[in-house]
Amino acid sequence: MVFNIHDDSLITLSTTYKTFLFDNDFQSLLPEIFLITAGIFLVVYGVIFSTSKDKNYPLLLTNISWLSLLACVFTFLLLVNSPVQNALLFYNTLVIDDFTTFIKGLILFSTFCCIFMSLDYIKQESLNAFETIILLVLSTCGMLFLVSSADFISLYLAIEAQSLCFYVVAALKRNSEFSTEAGLKYFLLGAFSSGLLLFGCSLIYGFTGVTNFSELGRIFTGGTQEILTSTTALPACELGMVFLLVGFLFKITAVPFHMWSPDVYEGAPTPITAFFLIVPKAALFGVFLRIFFESFYDFILPWQKILLVSSIGSMILGSVAALSQTRIKRLLAYSSIGHVGYLLAGFACGTIEGIQALMIYLFVYVFMNINMFAFLLCGMRREHLQTVPRMKYISDLAYLAKTNPILALTFTITMFSMAGIPPLAGFYSKAYLFFAAMSSNLYVLAIIGVLCSVLSCFYYIRLVKIMYFEGPKNWCSFTRVPLENAITLAITLFFILFFMLYPTPLHLITHKIALTLCL
Amino acid sequence: MIEFVGIFVYFIIALALSLILVGVSFVFATKKSDPEKISAYECGFDPFDDARSRFDIQFYLVAILFIIFDLEVTFLFPWALTLNQVGFFGFWSMMIFLIILTIGFIYEWRKGALDWS
Repeated sequence: MVFNIHDDSLITLSTTYKTFLFDNDFQSLLPEIFLITAGIFLVVYGVIFSTSKDKNYPLLLTNISWLSLLACVFTFLLLVNSPVQNALLFYNTLVIDDFTTFIKGLILFSTFCCIFMSLDYIKQESLNAFETIILLVLSTCGMLFLVSSADFISLYLAIEAQSLCFYVVAALKRNSEFSTEAGLKYFLLGAFSSGLLLFGCSLIYGFTGVTNFSELGRIFTGGTQEILTSTTALPACELGMVFLLVGFLFKITAVPFHMWSPDVYEGAPTPITAFFLIVPKAALFGVFLRIFFESFYDFILPWQKILLVSSIGSMILGSVAALSQTRIKRLLAYSSIGHVGYLLAGFACGTIEGIQALMIYLFVYVFMNINMFAFLLCGMRREHLQTVPRMKYISDLAYLAKTNPILALTFTITMFSMAGIPPLAGFYSKAYLFFAAMSSNLYVLAIIGVLCSVLSCFYYIRLVKIMYFEGPKNWCSFTRVPLENAITLAITLFFILFFMLYPTPLHLITHKIALTLCL
Repeated sequence: MIEFVGIFVYFIIALALSLILVGVSFVFATKKSDPEKISAYECGFDPFDDARSRFDIQFYLVAILFIIFDLEVTFLFPWALTLNQVGFFGFWSMMIFLIILTIGFIYEWRKGALDWS
């Protein structure tokens, strides 16, 4: 086998070498390739049948949702049974290891749940564009690539692939002003943050000539490479790193850069909000953990400071601003900002334990939020306004304990878990996070975190109080809980309730993936 | 790069020539404007209603489609020039790209984005 691919006389040999190289690559990227292909097939299938006159222009949304769910399941199976566990693919632009497999599994699971629990809601609201679900699937695919990326180019392309789909689905309800506003805001801020990210990448590339994460890591190790220190390259790379970090904080709605998120989360349709809130967090944290632990670990002093400030700010804002909210989705948006603060606390530790705590927190966060949105996406009927089948204000919860006691109990438990009350999963993840922060000497962070957690109990428990002890201002009642939501609620509630009894598997897995990332 | 100098000179000469042509008629023609002459021409009638009207979304669709397929062509140029070097691998890579774009095109077609009736 001749490996010289630049020599013109060896064109045929080099071609076979290339195809040989990519044979293996395609095999190990089978989950992503399958998901893309499935998405493309669904587009063709959907557009051909939904515009067919013979079939009377059928609405294919439910059908395509179920097929997308099937595609998610198959992708998950392909991912779990992948023959290749560790590899660098496509000329070192993509990487596969235990870490990416875990995050990809989490992403696929949460996508599955998000689509699954909004099946009924979408039907009730008659959001009839089948493209929505396909766009969600394609953005999931973008996120899978994002987690795998090992190069700035693939990172940026994957981020854009997923956010472009998001911009479209945020403005899904064209006749709703809120939704179009949300789409526009999300687009502008998303494009701006991508620009910051790209500027960071170009600074780093311009001063090092390298875009690969592991090669950057090799360049920055020790921080004393002569070429870097003798010129202004090192501070310039640091600046680039700060730009990357700011772009990342924008995308995950951490505090100084959070202003768009409540409006977007409030304005977008609820299934889409659920998707925005749950799924991209895992992907973004996945890839940026990799960048900052693999490439920029020697810049830990600057990035740790920024992350600490952002984390403390997010925790405080998440707990204070949510106090005065009356709309449930806005409240959840602020609560998610608070959760991002806790996640960033794990990131800021910069230790294996910190990553492990972050991963556990992320896992529990995904489950808790899926549970919450499975609850919110249940059908609801208003007495005075039959046409609005959804819950808008937190006062709509009133009397739920009488009309639907089991649902109320489920919601109560989730709220307690989010607030971090002891025997529940939320408590465990938070406690573990604060232990990690303490053991890396971030005492101030841990103390502020605990205080904010106490403060945030207030509004979580206020919801419970409204459900159990307050009379309704206007009568709202839930319709029968759809089967899909019931299943999702049951499974996630089971996890939240009994996670403390047997946390070993998650601990082992997260420890393993934290080691994968750090070693 | 040096061959662009010729184009640049050509561009300047063309600009000067067109300015001269406009200017000459400006200098030598008789200018006498009256209300009939400077009012909007709508087949001889006075304008019926407001000049502002709804803009057809079709124009946007065509513009977006043009941007997409224009980008496709920019990707095709380097591929066409280097096809003898990239071999079958390059050929099939581009084919996959084209297939994906074609599926987008099929989507537009079936959705009726190209109908002007």
